[in-house]
Amino acid sequence: MRQDTWWIFTDINFLRFFGAGLIQTLLLSLAAIALAFVVALVFALGRMSHRRWLRWPSIAYVETIRALPVLLLIVFFYIKGSSLLQPVFGPEFNLQPFWAGVLGLGLYTSAVLAEIIRAGILSLPRGQTEAARALGLSHARAMRYVILPQGLRLMVPAMMSQLTTIIKDTSLVATIGVSDLLGQGRIIYNRYFNPIEVFLFVAVIYFVICFALSQASRRLELGNTPKAARAKIREIQLRDQAA
Amino acid sequence: MPGEIIFEFPQQYLYPEGLWLTIQLSVLGLIGSIVLGILIALLRISPFAPLRWIGAAYVEFFRNTPLLVQLFFLFFALPALGIRFSDDAFVFNFRAAVLGIALYHAAYVAEVVRGGLLGVDRGQIEAARSLGLSYRQMLREVQLPQAVRSVIPPIGNIAIALAKNTALAKTIGVAELLAAGDYVEAATFRTVEAYLAVALLYLVLTLPMAAGVNWLEKRLLVAR
Repeated sequence: MRQDTWWIFTDINFLRFFGAGLIQTLLLSLAAIALAFVVALVFALGRMSHRRWLRWPSIAYVETIRALPVLLLIVFFYIKGSSLLQPVFGPEFNLQPFWAGVLGLGLYTSAVLAEIIRAGILSLPRGQTEAARALGLSHARAMRYVILPQGLRLMVPAMMSQLTTIIKDTSLVATIGVSDLLGQGRIIYNRYFNPIEVFLFVAVIYFVICFALSQASRRLELGNTPKAARAKIREIQLRDQAA
Repeated sequence: MPGEIIFEFPQQYLYPEGLWLTIQLSVLGLIGSIVLGILIALLRISPFAPLRWIGAAYVEFFRNTPLLVQLFFLFFALPALGIRFSDDAFVFNFRAAVLGIALYHAAYVAEVVRGGLLGVDRGQIEAARSLGLSYRQMLREVQLPQAVRSVIPPIGNIAIALAKNTALAKTIGVAELLAAGDYVEAATFRTVEAYLAVALLYLVLTLPMAAGVNWLEKRLLVAR
């Protein structure tokens, strides 16, 4: 314990410093989940396609990414992301660590969300698809106007609890030099050598956010989620809760 | 190609050694988290309310803070508190990592075990108690054995998550698989090959586990 450094945690400037880190953490989670949702939708639909050349690559993507540590993806994009994206953005392009974190975290979460979305869609009664097709809607339009709106709505609580996981996972970007909440904590620690206070303080902030979110998603509860989807979601929440 | 690095790079031993450390971390962490998790689950279903509160506080705190923050706390703060697992830095890092991984996943194991214990038919518990078994006898002879069946597949899922999360041990200086990839990358600048090799080794580790869990789920499925 270092009582002489306790003033840090009531000083407005230091609180602003931590606040800046918190904003980075939240922005990173939102960017990652936005990216993840778009990619997940593509691969969830791809995995349910009747065409083999769409289905097999989608299965391979989802199962491979789910089996890897998030930190591996984040470190890979941190080191290699710039040169991977230079053909797209020009030879001068330099991928910021923040965006490397968004890519790594977003792609990992996309595989998890794809499984959640697929579980939601598969749990809908077959009659929904059949009725839509019988009314003359094409497969694509039946998906777009009948199946997806219902499937996605069923999965809102599961996605919210995934957001809790993402917020916890964003702490990993501190290792590639992003000044997120944990990164700011490390800077303070390196300056004042008060590890107990700093890491407890950071842990409590993470706890307040994640606890509030997980309570909220429990409130929404899986009440109207069909039984089959619930088992799948529980499996995903255990297997894919990373850090 | 990745094969070239694994077999031709002068420091090729890094990959198998890293993999071995990852396996050690996973196995020790899993054993620790299962033992601790069962204890906390027993606290959570205890008839004595303050014990239940302690269990609930543990689960909520460790589930809702990042593993990395917990590892940093163990790694930086414990020596400051005067607690040292070992004077040897490498042994200290390894033990701190095992402890952190076990503490974090114990919270998830506790929730699963608690669910399994509560899933046991109440009539069984009441019958055991009315036959004159003490609370502890009832737990050991009736409630725990029946819970095991429904608890094994979800613990398998936690084991997969745990094996992936051992990668975080690299941040506190354990030279496990991902750290081995870092060394090879830094020495050769062949990023894609170095990390592709790491990814393949993680797949070799986790994909059979996933297949095993799916098989167990089908085998142990309790018809309700």
